[in-house]
Amino acid sequence: MLENLIWGYVYPNESEIQWSILIVLYPYITGLVAGAFIASSLYHVFGKKEIKPVARFALLTALSFLLVAMLPLLVHLGRPERGIEIMFTPHLTSAMSGFGYIFSFYLTIVVLEIWLSFREDIVNKALSSHGWKELLYSSLALFSFDISEKALHDDEKFARKLAIIGIPSAAFLHGYVGFIFGGIKANPWWSTPLMPIIFLMSAIVSGIALLILLYIAAMKIRKHVIDHKCLQSLAHYLWIFLILDVTLELLEIVSMKYASREDIDIINRLLSDKIGFTFYGVQLTLGIFIPFVLLLMVSLIKNRETLKLYMISISSIFVVIGVFAMRWNVVIGGQEISKSLSGTLTYVPVFYSQEGILPALIIFILPFIILLVVTSILPPWKDMEEEPS
Amino acid sequence: MQPHLKRAFTILALIIIAFIFVRSLVVPESFGQYGWYRGDSVKELRNLTVNYAGSISCGEENCHENIYTVWVKDRHKTVNCETCHSPAQKHVLNAREPLTPADDSRDYCGKCHFKRISRPETFPQIDPEAHGEDLRCVYCHNPHKPWFD
Repeated sequence: MLENLIWGYVYPNESEIQWSILIVLYPYITGLVAGAFIASSLYHVFGKKEIKPVARFALLTALSFLLVAMLPLLVHLGRPERGIEIMFTPHLTSAMSGFGYIFSFYLTIVVLEIWLSFREDIVNKALSSHGWKELLYSSLALFSFDISEKALHDDEKFARKLAIIGIPSAAFLHGYVGFIFGGIKANPWWSTPLMPIIFLMSAIVSGIALLILLYIAAMKIRKHVIDHKCLQSLAHYLWIFLILDVTLELLEIVSMKYASREDIDIINRLLSDKIGFTFYGVQLTLGIFIPFVLLLMVSLIKNRETLKLYMISISSIFVVIGVFAMRWNVVIGGQEISKSLSGTLTYVPVFYSQEGILPALIIFILPFIILLVVTSILPPWKDMEEEPS
Repeated sequence: MQPHLKRAFTILALIIIAFIFVRSLVVPESFGQYGWYRGDSVKELRNLTVNYAGSISCGEENCHENIYTVWVKDRHKTVNCETCHSPAQKHVLNAREPLTPADDSRDYCGKCHFKRISRPETFPQIDPEAHGEDLRCVYCHNPHKPWFD
């Protein structure tokens, strides 16, 4: 059976693909975090008022996904309890050793940012509720109930500063994931300095698309009208970042093909035989080209809000799927070519196993459950349900 | 600074201090003594009991000299005695200590000789389903002198 999965000459230690679907999921989830955070920064830092209805919701989305971002890596480890060692004794010559610190720093920023932007609501709830709710909200308010105008103004100023630090840290968190792949010089499919920025752009794209979908879903569930101005503004940013994303992704492929170094034969085989469908079909056509056209039409069509809503929803679904395919093509594709450059391998996902599809599905569903819990404690609906001015 | 911000930063500082404290407890003292590992592990590894005696000790003292001379000249000379016959240090020190019998199953030979695409073509490999009719390999092949002419 192994013979059918292998073509050409491969090294003995390559016959098993080590980085499975969980390692595909890890950059996908961190990407969604970075994207959602940057979407919220459009309001918090750049003052784009039309994004306001989803700005705080985006922060909660980022937190929910951030809390599970390390899970795929921990489940992938044979000895998850040793994962913390990377923080206790980080080996500074390895890019991987920065993960714990970068992750913790970013988590602190996101938590602080959420706390500051929800503090007024938290204090109001603490003062108006009783029993365990009073205790919960008072603890969240750190037993400091000052919501005078001056205090709130200071909070806002500080939150803005945090968001300014937050953008480079979100970019760093995700760019760093790309750097880990881009820094593997033995693998021609990964080794490119463009990798961090490609990862970052696709992260922003997937984060905004997810935010759009969650916003539409939340409004449908809560039976409230959608703020089309906000939605179309998000769609507009999605379209802009999509252009940057596709430019970089194509630039990488085109320069690889044009330079035609000694690895081009195996890259061509990878693109035609191994990941042809997921790369050209899902990542480029479904994930970029179709949403690009649909979103372009959204900005051209006047009125017809329902049609635009459908077009934006479909684009977002396609983008979210397309970015997953991109992560798959990078992580799995890179391992399907042998380091001999004259052979290919095949990754066959299994369902029930520690590295299987089932744990990946569970990990992917978790952030939505966390989001449900977090939004019930800190409801962001007030912003969304205000009448658009 | 507003009091609530002071509290938030105090909590953050406490978390960082707790991390540094836990780290100081968890990371062994000898970590980094020689390199990026626990220095004491060198001492511990040195004090581990020796289990393997090495193939030469089997041929010494006229114990297994005959089979040793056959083996040492043949194709399996790179596969040490203890690879199949189990670790022998106790047996070398005290001949009454028996060895675990060698594993002569098809699967054991197959660890090296079942066909794998990653093995060099010239390396002797068999398709276990097509070769040997499920007989144990040693039925036809002498593991000490495996080569057929």
